[in-house]
Amino acid sequence: MKHAMTLATAIGLALALAGLPALAQNEFGSKELIEAAEKEGQLTYYTANFAETEQEVIKEFNKRFPKVKVAMVRAPGGQLITRIKTEAAAGKLGADVVNHSDRGLMLELADLFQDYTPPNAADYRPDALVSPKFWPGVTLGWAIAYNTQLVKNPPKSWKDLLNPEYKGKQIGQVVGPSGGTTWTRVMFERQVLGEDYWQKQAALGIALFPSGAPTSDSLVRGEISIAPLLYNIIYTKIVEGAPAEAIFAPEGVPIIPYADGIPKTAKSPNAAKLFMNWRLSKEGQAFQIAKLGNITSLKEPPSFPKGWDPKVIKVWVPNFKEFESLREPWLEQWNKTYGYRQ
Amino acid sequence: MTATSAVLPASTNAAAAPRRLAAPLWVGALLIVLAFLVIYPLLMLIFGALSDSNPVVDGFGNFKPSVKHFVDVLGNENVHLAFFNALAACGGGTILAVVIGLAFSWIVVRTNTPFKGFIAGASLIPLFVPPLVAGVAWGILGSPKTGLLNTSLKWLGIDFRFNFYSMSGLIVVFGIYYAPYVYMFTASALKNMDPSLEEASEVAGASAFTTLFTVTFPLIAPAILAGSLLSFVVMLGIYGVPAALGAPADINVLTTYIFKLTAWSPPLYNTAAAVAILLMVVTAILVWAQQRVLSGKSFATVAGKAFRPRALNLGPWRWFTLGLAITYLLIVVVLPTLALVIAAFRKFMFFKDFDALFDMKQYSWVHFNAVFDNPLTMLSIWNTLKVGVITALAGGALAFAIGYTVNRTRVAGRRSIDLLATLPVAIPGLVIGVAYLWAWIGLPGGLYGTIWILALAFVARFMPDTVKALSTSFLQIHKELEEAAWISGRGMLSTIRTIVLPLARPGVVASMTLLFVLAIRELGSSLFLYTSDTTVMAVLLLDYYEGGNTGKTAAFSLVQTAILAVLLSITTWLSRETTQSARFN
Repeated sequence: MKHAMTLATAIGLALALAGLPALAQNEFGSKELIEAAEKEGQLTYYTANFAETEQEVIKEFNKRFPKVKVAMVRAPGGQLITRIKTEAAAGKLGADVVNHSDRGLMLELADLFQDYTPPNAADYRPDALVSPKFWPGVTLGWAIAYNTQLVKNPPKSWKDLLNPEYKGKQIGQVVGPSGGTTWTRVMFERQVLGEDYWQKQAALGIALFPSGAPTSDSLVRGEISIAPLLYNIIYTKIVEGAPAEAIFAPEGVPIIPYADGIPKTAKSPNAAKLFMNWRLSKEGQAFQIAKLGNITSLKEPPSFPKGWDPKVIKVWVPNFKEFESLREPWLEQWNKTYGYRQ
Repeated sequence: MTATSAVLPASTNAAAAPRRLAAPLWVGALLIVLAFLVIYPLLMLIFGALSDSNPVVDGFGNFKPSVKHFVDVLGNENVHLAFFNALAACGGGTILAVVIGLAFSWIVVRTNTPFKGFIAGASLIPLFVPPLVAGVAWGILGSPKTGLLNTSLKWLGIDFRFNFYSMSGLIVVFGIYYAPYVYMFTASALKNMDPSLEEASEVAGASAFTTLFTVTFPLIAPAILAGSLLSFVVMLGIYGVPAALGAPADINVLTTYIFKLTAWSPPLYNTAAAVAILLMVVTAILVWAQQRVLSGKSFATVAGKAFRPRALNLGPWRWFTLGLAITYLLIVVVLPTLALVIAAFRKFMFFKDFDALFDMKQYSWVHFNAVFDNPLTMLSIWNTLKVGVITALAGGALAFAIGYTVNRTRVAGRRSIDLLATLPVAIPGLVIGVAYLWAWIGLPGGLYGTIWILALAFVARFMPDTVKALSTSFLQIHKELEEAAWISGRGMLSTIRTIVLPLARPGVVASMTLLFVLAIRELGSSLFLYTSDTTVMAVLLLDYYEGGNTGKTAAFSLVQTAILAVLLSITTWLSRETTQSARFN
């Protein structure tokens, strides 16, 4: 036994000395897979996430695997789904990997996707998975952001967003029905923070925005002072020096595990697998947390975003059944409460 | 052709056998092209509006028609509201656009205002600003709390505050950005108008002012009507401006409503298609009304007599008109460009006060560096130029063929051609983008995934704009000129080449330029038809915008604007050269 251990250490050492590709074999897939992927040399990546952040992911992947080029097609969520459906029906689906935030919509398309399991499958939270075909290559989480030049007394929790001090359109919000990510937050507010959370907040007078981009932009410009935002959309701005800060609230961080998969028709299935493996690996997830402001669905996160105390702050994952069944009736009530004309 | 050339073709029954066959063949060919470009995608749209299915995914076999979506849409209060908001914003915008566009074309073409060439060039600038960029720029300028205008007013100690996040903000931005449509139509009409009519009015004792309103403007009425109709309908289909300015005030118009339907999950394309068909009905009524108003009247003012456009001597008032022009340019070009420049060079758009605007430490090239670090930037520029050129050439040629057939011949079927060529105007890009995807993805030959499918979509989508822009030129060329050519033994094609084309050249160049600009800006249909190799600038711009990067959005918009400005000056220069040589040869 001892002998075996030493041998393993020696092999590990040798592998480490032999350089990155050898190490890559263990974590990201077999030698055969990597060779086959490099032979394919390219893959096409469909994403509903922000183009720029996904380009950073591709760049980082290419540091590890420079021989696999990644071409990207990016479209907003609903439009991407329509495109995938239509392309697939015409036998012209161009994607080798699809990255989408709406697990419900992807589940409807499960037939188009092949079986796939990453090497570290067991490390993922079961509640972040909706199908063995789909994996959360990206996980986003909701933070509370504020403009540091305008807010003297910054909010520290979700409950603080009911404070009358912030009345009169100081708080901005992305409208509930804008998509799966916002619906997760809205559902969290009602289930965790209380049935009357919406009414109390709406009474303050809330500035409503159609999507996250103009909300974060307005926050930085000072048009609004406070806003719940997906952490990744404000994080890069904070890093670049914008007058903004974001906190994770102790009541919980609603997270959105994406559903990523490999279509059956993938022209570069090996490159696709390698790309998925890398993104789902500890290295891939750690990169996304450190550089892009993402969260992770790994049971034991390799690292935490700034200001995230794992003893205090817990993630909140919606019950997928309720996520689907409550969506329509609750959003209708949300629209009424916030006076939003859908 | 030569066999018939001795006969006067104006009397249709005199044409010989080859010509008799040629006309139906020609009309048939045009109809086939239009069927492919318009009817087929349109059928897909109607199919979508009348069912719950995606025709490619579910197949036509599963088509279960129902009027559910129409009933839903017609009964939905939010649709009513969006509809009236759209009418108010676009109606107000059109009135403003007509006032500005008409005033400008008159100043440039008919007066001795100094620096006319410069004014003419600069007044077209708003046309090549993508609507999303215009919306973003005016948000930076006119947002109620931190807009640059309001920051300046505060600094000056003035209590008044602008709020462009409002209906009046929408109307003003629509009006100033779509004035060039009216300008293009009316300027070419004024240029081609025989000044003897105005001279006659003045000899008869009318003042210059009276002449303007009783002779000049009524004579170019088709151009004014066509320009205002087109600008109204184009405004109806614009997403970027109401998205950036209307959304913060919760003002929905039809396009922002449709965008929501298509972008949210699950996407409701079938409902969006029903809303789009409503838009088309509105447009069809407007086009029909325009034709009613114009029918039976002659607007031929370009006759065989030689003339040069007359410049009215305004005396000292010419400085006033120059002042007006400069004010407009300041508002429409300088202010938003300045806003974009500030946004593009400034790290962040937060201004504590007016003085913070001049804190030079806050300015750098970082956004430009980031934009050009992105490998997609150069690819998208190159692709966009290719698509733009293909679209302008192919679309220009098709529009000339259609415009000539509709306006200069009496062949049977020309009314249907006109109608078909006008249909796509009212369909918002996002919806027609899906219709094109549904219609053309199954075509054999690997069209999907190439630059060509984008060009095809743009040719189809902007055919109404191009055909209408050309038609005014045709309307103004007097039949006698062609007849003279026929009498002197020229054939049909030869007449077109030697008479019609040179006379309509300003219109042809203008409409091809317009097509080029529209193709470069077009987002809605690109979004469904681009692939990783054929990405275009508009798609990348949306990526930056949706990523919440005002700085990069602004930097990339400036790059796009600069490219368009260079290309437009080249075409302006070219068209000036060619019109001059045409006129004096």
